[in-house]
Amino acid sequence: MGVVLKKISKNYNGRTALKDLDLEVSRGEFHVLLGPNGAGKTTVLSVIAGLTKQDKGTVMVGGRNANGLPPEKRKIGFVFQDYALFPHLSVFDNIAYGLRVRRLKETEIARKIDYYLARVNIEKEKNKYPHQLSGGQKQNVALIRAIVTEPEILLLDEPMSDLDAPAREKTGQELKNFQQEMGITTICVTHDQDEAFSLGDRVSVLNEGKIEQIEAPHDLFYHPKTEFVARFVGAKNILKARIIKIQQHEAIVYINNECLVQPFKIRVKKYPIFEKGKEISLCIHPEKIVLKKPNEAVGNNLNRIRGKIVNKRSNGKTLRATIDIGGTEIHAAIPKALFDFRIHENVWVCFAPDAPHPLCGKRCRADEAGRRCLNEIRSIRS
Amino acid sequence: MKGISFDIVVSLITGIFVCLIVLPMFALFTSTSLGELANQFKSPYVLASFLISLETSLAVVFLALCLGVPTAYLLGVKKFKGKEIIDTLIDLPICMPPLVAGLALLILLGGNSGFGNLLSNQGIDLIFSKKGIIIAQLFVSTPFLIKSAREAFESIDQNVINASLTLGASKFYTFKKVLLPLAKNGIYAGMVMTWARALGEFGATSMVAGCVPFKTETMTVAIYQNAMSGEMDSSVAIALVLIVFSFTSLFIFKSRLRGQIALS
Repeated sequence: MGVVLKKISKNYNGRTALKDLDLEVSRGEFHVLLGPNGAGKTTVLSVIAGLTKQDKGTVMVGGRNANGLPPEKRKIGFVFQDYALFPHLSVFDNIAYGLRVRRLKETEIARKIDYYLARVNIEKEKNKYPHQLSGGQKQNVALIRAIVTEPEILLLDEPMSDLDAPAREKTGQELKNFQQEMGITTICVTHDQDEAFSLGDRVSVLNEGKIEQIEAPHDLFYHPKTEFVARFVGAKNILKARIIKIQQHEAIVYINNECLVQPFKIRVKKYPIFEKGKEISLCIHPEKIVLKKPNEAVGNNLNRIRGKIVNKRSNGKTLRATIDIGGTEIHAAIPKALFDFRIHENVWVCFAPDAPHPLCGKRCRADEAGRRCLNEIRSIRS
Repeated sequence: MKGISFDIVVSLITGIFVCLIVLPMFALFTSTSLGELANQFKSPYVLASFLISLETSLAVVFLALCLGVPTAYLLGVKKFKGKEIIDTLIDLPICMPPLVAGLALLILLGGNSGFGNLLSNQGIDLIFSKKGIIIAQLFVSTPFLIKSAREAFESIDQNVINASLTLGASKFYTFKKVLLPLAKNGIYAGMVMTWARALGEFGATSMVAGCVPFKTETMTVAIYQNAMSGEMDSSVAIALVLIVFSFTSLFIFKSRLRGQIALS
C-alpha cells in the first residue's frame, strides 16, 4: 500500500480541518483529492508530508508508520501550489538541492538534471533564476525537483492552478507521463473537476474535512452518491421522489420537490435499494437530458416533462440551458449544433429511465440552492 | 492636490529634514581649520579613542551576529508560547535610556553583586575595561540586528522552508542553505545598524567602562570629555572623524546592498 490514513483529525484554533478521515492510496496510483476551498485538501497533504502534525490518527507511508517521522525522513516529493522554488538558486541548483542533500556526485547530478530538463524542453533555462521563468516553466522545475530524488510518494498541491489553459493541458500530460513511467504513488489536490477527472486513477471528494466519496473518475461523474458530490461535479438536477411502484426492471416514482407546483411521475431504472414508499433523491446529469419541441414526437421509452427555457449560456462546445418545470429548475447541457431553442420557449424535457440514479437513498438536504422557488428567482431578476 | 504640486510639497518637507541633518554638521566642519584638524589627527589621544571605538564596535557586531541570528530565526520562523514576551524583552534596550542600561549593568557586573563577585573570583573584571565597553554596547545595540534579521526571516515563504524539508534536508541544512542566504540582506542591514549604534554609544559605555584615556575612552566619551574640559579642537576633530567614517561606511554598504538587490 502506498499511503494509508486512519482516522485523521486536525483542528486549527477550534476550526475543524479534518475529521476522522480515512484514505487508502495504492502503490503506483494517481489519486486526486477534489473539493472546494477550505475542504481540508491541503491539510491532508501536509499531514502526509509531516509538515502538519495531526491531532489524532495514523499516517502510514510505504507500509511504515510515519507518525513519528520528520518530513525529511518520509521519502516524499512535494510540489507546492506556489511552486516554492528557492529564489536565490538557479534552475539547476534548485533541482540539484535534493540530490546534494543525498550527497550524489556532481557528475551524476548534472546527468540526471540534463535528462529531466530535456524531457520538458527547458534545458536553455538551466542557469536562469525562478523570477526569470514563466509559470509553466516554474511548474516544470518544481515537478522535476520533486521527482528527481525518486520519492516513494509524490504530493501535488493544486499544481496547475496558476497556469493558462494550453500550459495546463501540456503540463498535465507531462505530469501523467512522469507518474506512469516512474510508478510513483501520487496524491494530487485540486478544486478543478476537469483536472481531477483527466489525471486521477481514482478521485476522492472532500467536504468539510471528510471524504464524501472515492471513485474512479467516470463513476464519480455519472454516479455521485451524495448531493454535495453531485452538485460539485456539476450534476445539479436533484429530484426528491417517493417510490410508488416497483416493477421487474423499473420503478415508478413520484417527484415531489418542495417548490414543485404540480408533482409528477417518472419511470426510473430499478436499483437494489428501492423499496415501495421510500423517499429518495435522484440525480440526473445535465448531459443526459434531451430537449424537444412541443410538437415533436417523444418515444415511449423516454420520460418527458413540460417546461420552459428560462436561461441559456454558452460553455465551450455545449450550451447550458435552465428549464423551469413548474417551480423547479432543470439544467441541461446540449451540444451547440443541436440547440435550436429560444429563451421562454416551451419544451419537453426528456430523459431515459436509466438517466436518474439515487443518491444513496438519502433524502436531499434542503439547502439554499435546492429550495429556491422559481418565483423568488423571478422576483430577483425583475 | 495635483500630482506635481504634491511632489513639490513632499520635496520641500524632505529638504527641511535634510537641512536639519546637514546644518549641524556644516557648523562642525566650519568650527575648525584644516591645519588644526591635521594636527589633531596625528595626536595619539585621538588615534587611541578611534581604535578603541573601532575595536569594540566590531567585536560587538561579531558577538551580536552570533547571539542575534539564532534569536532572530527563533522569533521569525518558529511559533511557541511566550514569543511575544521574549520579543518585547529584546526590544526593551531600544526604548530604555542608555544611562539606565549602563546603571543596570554596573550594578550587575560590579563587585557588590553576587554575579559580579562570582566573575571577580574567576579573575574576570568587566567594569572599567574594554570588555565592559563591549558588554554595554552589545546590550544596547544587538536588538537592532535581531529586529532586522527577524523581519528578514519572517518574510521567507514558509513553503520554501517546507520544500527544503520535503527534499530531505535537515533543519540545520535548511537554515544554512536556504534561510541564511535569503535573510542575508536583512542580517547585513542589522549588522550595520548594530555597528552604527555601538560606535555612537555613550551613556551605557561611560557608566560601565568610565573614561580612562588610552584604555576605555571611546570616541563618543572622548568628545564629551574634551568638550566639557574646554578642549574643543580635540572634540571637533574626533567628532569629524566619527561622522566621516560612519558616513563612508554606511554609503559603501548601502550601495553594495542596493547592487545585490538589483542583481537578484
